[in-house]
Amino acid sequence: MNEALHSIAYKDSQGFITGHFTAMAGPCEVIIETTDQALAQKVTQAVVDEAWRIERTFSRYRSDNIIYQINNANGAVIEVDEETARLLDFADLCFEVSDGMFDITSGVLGKIWQFNGSSNVPSQKAIAKLLPKIGWNQVSWSNPTLQMPAGMALDFGGIGKEYAVDSAATLARAITDCAVLINFGGDIVATAPPISRQQWLIGIEPLALGQNNIPPKVALKHGGVATSGDSKRFLQYKGKVLSHVLNPKTGWPVNDAPASVTVLANNCTQAGMLSTLAMLQGQGAEEFLESQQVEHWIQRR
Amino acid sequence: MKKNLLLKSALATATMTLIAGAAHAEEEQDRTAPASKEQTIGDWKFDAAFLFYSESDSRVSAIEPVFNANKRLDEDEYLNLKLTVDSLTGASPSGAVASDQPLTFTRPSGNASYTVNANEYPLDDTFKDTRAALAANWTFPVSDMTKAGLGANISKEYDYLSASINGNISYDFNNRNSTLFAGLSYAFDSIDPVGGAPIAFGRMQPVGDPQNKLSDTQDKDTLDLLLGITQVIDRESLFQFNYSYSMSDGYHNDPYKVLSVLDDQGNYFDDGIPVANVLFESRPDERTKHGLFGRYKRYVGGDILDVSYRYMTDDWEIDSHTVDFKYRFALDNGDYWQPHVRYYTQTQADFYQPYLRQDQPLPQFASSDYRLAEYDAITVGLEYGMKTAAGNQWRFSLEMYNQTPTEPEKYGALQQQTLLPDWNAVMLRVNYSF
Amino acid sequence: MKQKSLLLLAILGFSLLSGCSTMGVDAWEKDLLAKPEMALDEQPLTDALDDHIYFSKEASSGGRAYAGGGCGCN
Repeated sequence: MNEALHSIAYKDSQGFITGHFTAMAGPCEVIIETTDQALAQKVTQAVVDEAWRIERTFSRYRSDNIIYQINNANGAVIEVDEETARLLDFADLCFEVSDGMFDITSGVLGKIWQFNGSSNVPSQKAIAKLLPKIGWNQVSWSNPTLQMPAGMALDFGGIGKEYAVDSAATLARAITDCAVLINFGGDIVATAPPISRQQWLIGIEPLALGQNNIPPKVALKHGGVATSGDSKRFLQYKGKVLSHVLNPKTGWPVNDAPASVTVLANNCTQAGMLSTLAMLQGQGAEEFLESQQVEHWIQRR
Repeated sequence: MKKNLLLKSALATATMTLIAGAAHAEEEQDRTAPASKEQTIGDWKFDAAFLFYSESDSRVSAIEPVFNANKRLDEDEYLNLKLTVDSLTGASPSGAVASDQPLTFTRPSGNASYTVNANEYPLDDTFKDTRAALAANWTFPVSDMTKAGLGANISKEYDYLSASINGNISYDFNNRNSTLFAGLSYAFDSIDPVGGAPIAFGRMQPVGDPQNKLSDTQDKDTLDLLLGITQVIDRESLFQFNYSYSMSDGYHNDPYKVLSVLDDQGNYFDDGIPVANVLFESRPDERTKHGLFGRYKRYVGGDILDVSYRYMTDDWEIDSHTVDFKYRFALDNGDYWQPHVRYYTQTQADFYQPYLRQDQPLPQFASSDYRLAEYDAITVGLEYGMKTAAGNQWRFSLEMYNQTPTEPEKYGALQQQTLLPDWNAVMLRVNYSF
Repeated sequence: MKQKSLLLLAILGFSLLSGCSTMGVDAWEKDLLAKPEMALDEQPLTDALDDHIYFSKEASSGGRAYAGGGCGCN
């Protein structure tokens, strides 16, 4: 990590202090309803430390963490720490409830799919070669030991950022009863509604400027908001737009996936998982979220 | 994919576990208040409580240990087992009035007697009993919104056996902001009083003489019904409203309670029998009760307000009002103080009489049991709760109970006596959840 | 995997809460009511002990919660 990025900028406005910093490959912010600069710094620092800690611990681009150990164990049994175990338990449950559509071993597909707006679709041969290396059911996980066949790799990218937001929010709550909003690149948690405004208003990024269907602002009192999808990450193939959400069973992008799905829930991890599962439903995304009775917003191209 | 709400709730539980684990790990470093222990599926959770109860003027004292074990069988399925032991000693008002002469009474067994000094309130000091009760309850989901419970209880003491079965069902709706509840319980009691059940209005007989008592077992059946609704009002508050109905049929007498028979001067009527002239009480063999109960609970920035009101009325003409107030002050370290005030008032039963008069006809029913008289009662208490580092909860509470009866009408020599003295009790309770 | 650049800025603003016609809150607003100390049956053993005392000493009993099992003390 570039040490120069390890800085926090503060802004003070209308009874709120905002701390800006960079983590998890994107801009992050902490907004605290207070005029007490020392308190705001204490909360922000705790959040920043937690973001960086989780990023260090679960990044697959480092060679000094548990993910590296697991991905380079070559089939050996690895004993994991308590926090990793909790994440694995959660990933295991998500795999189960999604009938295998949510799979933390599917990250290897990222090697061949480059979602850069081009039409560079990998060959079916290349995809078929990777498919045997995907499948959480091939991993034997029995807390606290994990055994994964050589060649496979774990990637917490689908849950790590949301978990970091929730975990940071827990720390913020322990420090202050003031309303705090934590935003890690669109994954958001509010610890309490702001006293002066009754609720936080969250903007959803439109697909394109000037579009007719402008997303509403989401009113959030406390709980989490997460969005899956990215308007800039897609491929064009045979006249169709391919979303960057991959079906781990076929190795291909999910058909008719929405461009973005935003969900409100009790916490960010839950919101994130519901939005991810909705994406994986493809054209059934709307129906799925209706059935879950959660507040949501779906954008399609 | 499981396209139903179970998925959402499964995720809610799983994310709570994921995040709460993080909080717990941090708490160990920060030494802030420990979180409550999450009961995972297959886990047992235990609660133990110990009550010490002591009435003023060496009336009843009791110790009552309770042990509760709860196993989470599945997501929304629990098995609960509770064992209660209750050991009483001391003396209880016999129902007779005091006199300016010493009074001799035959003990319930019919084998011995005891004497109450002149101008002393008559207490029966044979009051010793141990009760053991076992309750089992099974709660399980019927559908996503509906839960049900089935249970059985058995309670045994020397002269009394009570067995009951119960079933209940609750239904969540309005986004789980409202819950309807219905419960039904049927109890069968069987009573074998020491020395036999007295014949209604039978005269107490001296030791050695045939006692006015029946040898067979007495029964009582009770049907209880409760209908309730719980409603979330806003993020901080909710209320509960219940209607209860209870109907009992069978033996309702207290076999150890008597009524004094007085002459026109307010003295015991002398009929020549060498024990005090008292008759065993006689109550109706049916009772129907209706109750309304409302409760409001509110979260006040960490503190909790809990108030309730209950109105009960029955066909014995006893109406009662109960107001209960608790306020839980949260401390920074996660401990709390909780003051408690309860006020209770009841009217007397239509057949309540403090005594009988020789010169008046015998009524159909009569009891001088102080619990059927008109009185007010106040409970004042304070509870302190704390959590251990491991997340186990201790609670200590000390409460005082004071009962102030309305003194009945008196005449003649009776005016020198107090028929219904005030009395107090102290309750000391310790709870431990682990 | 899932990555989001997205949407940012929480925009703070006034918004008048339109009065809810039905009572209740959304699932994610049940954080306070979900606290164990806010449960209506938070202290079942204490309630049972109290009920037993009052059952023994007062003519009216029950009505508060669902209880079962009698005893000979009344």
